[in-house]
Amino acid sequence: MSSLNLNEDQQDCLQEIINVAMGQASDQLARYLDTFVYLKVPSIEQVSAQSLSMTLNPSEQAVAVVSQGFFGYEGIRGEALLMYQPKDSDRLADLLGYEPDELSVEEQIIDLSSILTTTFLNVFASQIDNQMSYSAPRLLASSKTSVSQHVEQQAFNWDLALKVKITYQVTDYSFNCDMILLIPESAIINIKTVIDRILEEY
Amino acid sequence: MSSSVLVCDDSNMARKQVLRSLPEALSQSAQIATNGEEALGILKSQKIDVLFLDLTMPVLDGLGVLQGIQDANITVNVFVISADIQPEMQNKVLELGANAFLRKPVQKDVLDQQLQKHGLL
Repeated sequence: MSSLNLNEDQQDCLQEIINVAMGQASDQLARYLDTFVYLKVPSIEQVSAQSLSMTLNPSEQAVAVVSQGFFGYEGIRGEALLMYQPKDSDRLADLLGYEPDELSVEEQIIDLSSILTTTFLNVFASQIDNQMSYSAPRLLASSKTSVSQHVEQQAFNWDLALKVKITYQVTDYSFNCDMILLIPESAIINIKTVIDRILEEY
Repeated sequence: MSSSVLVCDDSNMARKQVLRSLPEALSQSAQIATNGEEALGILKSQKIDVLFLDLTMPVLDGLGVLQGIQDANITVNVFVISADIQPEMQNKVLELGANAFLRKPVQKDVLDQQLQKHGLL
């Protein structure tokens, strides 16, 4: 059925590449906020376009979401979603140490999201001998409906995707941020080819 | 006499990365552990000279292993190899007695340099 299924070695290799990227993104975040980021093991799963919006935010709580597309060579592309709970976005100004009128909360969230997304994906890309470019980050209106709508609009031309979820947990401030990467089936086939090339070297 | 080596990482690929970066004299007889508990078991039952240790692992993580080594008074050279490169984490593992912190993916020349520095080559 689906070409997404990774064998054990491919899954292990992808996981290790993601771990390295996550480590460097966390390091950026830790330096930016002058704090420590607790790392959890990322989850990697296959989702269908229909079920995606349901799996994204099971709680009914409103969230702030920043969306940014990424494009590499060899058809590798996808969409990164950075998701914040309302209490987290309220904390951001304190965390970032901005003066009240310096930047709006929205701009701060976009700033932070873009740092995380580009650091993660640049490190990810360099490990698979690729290079990413990015669309401008967009803040989606903070309601569950609009996130679902946005995701569905992105999802129109694919049925299956690999969903990678990474949670950045800033313990000092009890601040959480979820990074969700959606990589469509066509791009995963290309990533698999690269992974097989890496695995052959071992 | 050659040193006895233990490589502890839950990822098969990461273990292979370490093994193939080691000089042959060390990699040949190297043992492996896939989580911290396994590693501690081996460390307690036999003499290991050099441990290469990941941090983020199931069952018992790398910090737990370092703590266990201290608690059991085990003498072993530990090189932590991790993707969690935050300065605070690097300081923490050094405080817990690791010889050095190396970032993933590990590079052969960095590994050689560290082994040399600690008189293990």
